[in-house]
Amino acid sequence: MRPVPTPASPSEAPPAADAAPPGRRARGAGLPLVTALIVAAVVLRPVLTGLLGHPAVANWATVFVAITVQALPFLVLGVAVSATIAAFVPPGLIARLLPKRPALAVPAAAVAGAALPGCECGSVPVAARLVSIGVTPAAAFAFLLSAPAINPVVLVSTAVAFPGRPAMVVARFLASLAASVVMGLLWIALGRDDLITPRRTRHGEDGPRLSVFLATAQHDFLQAGGFLVIGAGTAATLQTLVPRSVVDSVAGTGPLSLLVLGVLAVVVALCSEADAFVAAGLKQFSLTARLAFLVVGPMVDVKLFALQAGTFGTRFAWRFSLATFVVAVTCAGLVGWWLL
Amino acid sequence: MTEDARATTVLLVGAMMVRLALSGAYAKYVRTGMGDVLLVAGILLVGLGLVGVARALGFGRGTGGAHGHDHDHGDRAGWLLLGPVLALLLVTPPALGSFGVGRSAAVDVSSSGRTFDPLPAGRTTPMTLLEFDERTADHGGASFGTTPVRLTGFVTPANDRTGFRIARYQIACCAADAVAAIVRVTGTTGRSPIRDQWVTVTGTFQRSADGVPELRATSLTEVPAPRDPYE
Repeated sequence: MRPVPTPASPSEAPPAADAAPPGRRARGAGLPLVTALIVAAVVLRPVLTGLLGHPAVANWATVFVAITVQALPFLVLGVAVSATIAAFVPPGLIARLLPKRPALAVPAAAVAGAALPGCECGSVPVAARLVSIGVTPAAAFAFLLSAPAINPVVLVSTAVAFPGRPAMVVARFLASLAASVVMGLLWIALGRDDLITPRRTRHGEDGPRLSVFLATAQHDFLQAGGFLVIGAGTAATLQTLVPRSVVDSVAGTGPLSLLVLGVLAVVVALCSEADAFVAAGLKQFSLTARLAFLVVGPMVDVKLFALQAGTFGTRFAWRFSLATFVVAVTCAGLVGWWLL
Repeated sequence: MTEDARATTVLLVGAMMVRLALSGAYAKYVRTGMGDVLLVAGILLVGLGLVGVARALGFGRGTGGAHGHDHDHGDRAGWLLLGPVLALLLVTPPALGSFGVGRSAAVDVSSSGRTFDPLPAGRTTPMTLLEFDERTADHGGASFGTTPVRLTGFVTPANDRTGFRIARYQIACCAADAVAAIVRVTGTTGRSPIRDQWVTVTGTFQRSADGVPELRATSLTEVPAPRDPYE
């Protein structure tokens, strides 16, 4: 309860409100919001406490909070990068740095993904920002897919999780990079830019740079954060309802096992810095199938789907996620057959 | 969302993260190394929220131009962030318990293939459940010798004839990727402790017939849940 009153005190300061410039809107939601929170706290607390007595509900709540809390710092990082691009990078600079021809810009952007150390939640706002400042969507999507999979932090954690198997790290890098490039090229060939919901908000045009930075950061954080909550809720529900032991019963080495672990990666929505440790434990599956788990996870999962749907639109997210899933499983299968 | 609702929400999320980091409660959800990261991210959000609140109230706003036209566009989902904030303010979801053991993947010690030096004789050695399982997998537990070991975990139900099982999760990043290490405890007298009760058991390694790592206990104490419930 202690933190609740914090925002109330500034909202209640009347002298400043009177002196406000004419640009300020009269109707504010700060005070009603805090009131609603307090009422909700009083009414809901016993209900929630009772619910948590049920082990399944407690498990859901723990996983939900865990996914959200784990992802928030990475989201803050992604939002900070996105807001920096919006406020401090001259418009058109990044587009000029990339090769002119989209077919070359896609691999360049995919390789550039290695520079964003984080997991997948951080790359969505950055990719959205790239699209909004005029980078070819195909290149931005290649970046979106490759960044969470091939950055050094993720590769190192993969090496730690698979001691004595450096081929796994190489295979993950190559398969993820290949899948990102293929998706970018596919978008050039088949993609329609009208599938992407245009970003209606344009912060980048007016005001001092610091204001632009702050407004963009706030906007991007709230938008991505809201959808992160939806994704975390979905993942927690699936984890609680579907025991992972179901997966163990369909172990195998054929192409089916690639699909099974690909679907598992979508459902459990692990952070890309942690998924290698889980993959290392899935010993009853072939290395290639586990590679599919590692390639699909950072590119398609229920949490990421919610983030993409919120950022680029649902129509886009469905098609893009399905295509990415097929491409990622295929790349994992080919690279695994070659290297593992 | 209006401007002040946005700023308030960002502030609340930041305050929640700072509180989680400072109180140590975050260890129930993510690995302990994340504490500082959470704190920094939380402070950044609190700062962003405070600046937003100040601006919404009219402080430090020159022309007001940068914000005038962008409200209620595409950030309606931001309200949802109040969900986890409310959940954490009202109740603290517990650390993962026995519900998930057997539903989630069990820890696989054979993949690590670690080998161990023998334990020093005589002195009781504290040990993680993971190490106990790994030592069991290494040459049938030869490295234990007769040295007593001490384990701390929570009680998880199992249909064993003898004894009961304790478990503890390993997490790599957050509670969503937890896998459990399990040890069967035998040799205790009286009734087994209740499900999800944390216990510290001291005893010696014992070869089991069915491959479940087994400890023959000489002492059993019920303990409060540790600060970091994961290994």
